[in-house]
Amino acid sequence: MRVVTVPHYLDDKALDAVAGGLGPWPPEERVLFDARATRWASPYGFTALLTAAQALRELGLEAPRLAVPEDDEVRSYWGKAGFFRHARELFELHGRVPRRPPAEASDVLLPVTPVRASEDVHAVVGGIQEHAARILTSELGLETAATMRFSMALSEACQNVVEHAGTGGWVAVHSFNWRVRLGRRVVVIAVSDAGVGFRQSLEAAEARKHGDRWGDATALEAALIHNVSRFRDPGRGQGLAAIKRYLDMWKGKISIRSGTARLAIVPAWDDDTPLEDGLPYFPGAQVQIVIPEQEREKREQGTGEGEGQGRGGRGNR
Amino acid sequence: MILTIRLGEVLRETLTVRSRDLLTRPTGAAVRSSIEEAIAATPCPTTLLDFEAVGLIDFSCADEVVAKLLRRTEADQYVVLLGLDDTQAEAIDHVLARQDLAVAALPRSGGGGCRVLGRTTPDLIQAFDALHALGEGNAERLAPRLGWTLERTADALHTLALHRLVLAAAGTYAPLPLQ
Repeated sequence: MRVVTVPHYLDDKALDAVAGGLGPWPPEERVLFDARATRWASPYGFTALLTAAQALRELGLEAPRLAVPEDDEVRSYWGKAGFFRHARELFELHGRVPRRPPAEASDVLLPVTPVRASEDVHAVVGGIQEHAARILTSELGLETAATMRFSMALSEACQNVVEHAGTGGWVAVHSFNWRVRLGRRVVVIAVSDAGVGFRQSLEAAEARKHGDRWGDATALEAALIHNVSRFRDPGRGQGLAAIKRYLDMWKGKISIRSGTARLAIVPAWDDDTPLEDGLPYFPGAQVQIVIPEQEREKREQGTGEGEGQGRGGRGNR
Repeated sequence: MILTIRLGEVLRETLTVRSRDLLTRPTGAAVRSSIEEAIAATPCPTTLLDFEAVGLIDFSCADEVVAKLLRRTEADQYVVLLGLDDTQAEAIDHVLARQDLAVAALPRSGGGGCRVLGRTTPDLIQAFDALHALGEGNAERLAPRLGWTLERTADALHTLALHRLVLAAAGTYAPLPLQ
């Protein structure tokens, strides 16, 4: 049994530790994800954890085990975020799992939702618009057209799974107060799939141009920086270009992890490394979009804490 | 003669889920296919695509429905977009501009007159607006109004015609019919 300790705070950075814990891919032993001590997970964490299990199952390997968080409040939040609904089908769960489908938490704009086909994108976008409108304009102070633009960005992010992954994926959207990294409220879109990844998706069209440099990092650069698509059609490559355009307007951030690399377009408020290569391998592709509150001054309306995931969890967001 | 296609109705017939939104490439391709069938079956040279009952349109779907339609329709077929809201216009404008395409569009009621979305220049916009203000005319008629040389005016009108943004016949240009 390969035991992978899920970090206390499972976000985009902490996923590297999970990937490292998995070792060479695919793991030769059955995997146990130990999340007993986990205090908080971002939407990125939820979707990536499901992706890991999905990838293992699609390889025909035994269902991985997941030891669920011990803290009642954390476990309850994971239920409200829609994680257990799908985890039941992919993991062998160990520990007490909420039986009844819980009401969604107020900061969950979109619980973890599968994305497999075009119809799923319609359902995701159609279901989020009203809730998103309130959060984006009232709490984040974005322009009134932001709801439509946000929905378009969400649609394009989900379509990457349908168009390029070759298998299904997951999307989740949360709004929370990101105290440590930003000190403001944010909306975070996370989309993760267990598919072929950017390198393989673009290989036929791009690898020859890059020669020995071709790899996960160059593939991400081609897609995110140069809007390259595997299709020759001149209208392709618009999705990520459109997302970047809106994020530029909102001073937002996008990061994509695929295989062993992560590439981010980093706004002034963040000190993230734009490109990281040689990371531990993680299957598929993981996209995170962060849209921050637009005014630096804390507003009464925008500083309310979201529902917690444990007594110690909120301080480290 | 004009063919009007209400995209809200096409969407209802195309989608297996209930949605007012033009999202995703497969949806766009299916909607475009319906439009192309309708265009092929009509003798009307001008087709109005009515967006009034459409909610959101994303970039991929805008590419499938509008950009590909413009690239695939015959040179004697004209397309005008009707009833666009600002966000729909923004998405279509972005998608067309990247591909050197342009289309005439009329915003939803109260949103102003006909405008060009996509690849455009200040000269094209001025010539387009002048032609819409004056109605049918040639370069000689438009040049004084624009304060341009005859050559510059003729060049702008010719480019508008090449993009199928205006009707052209024997040196005379006219706005595309909207009703």
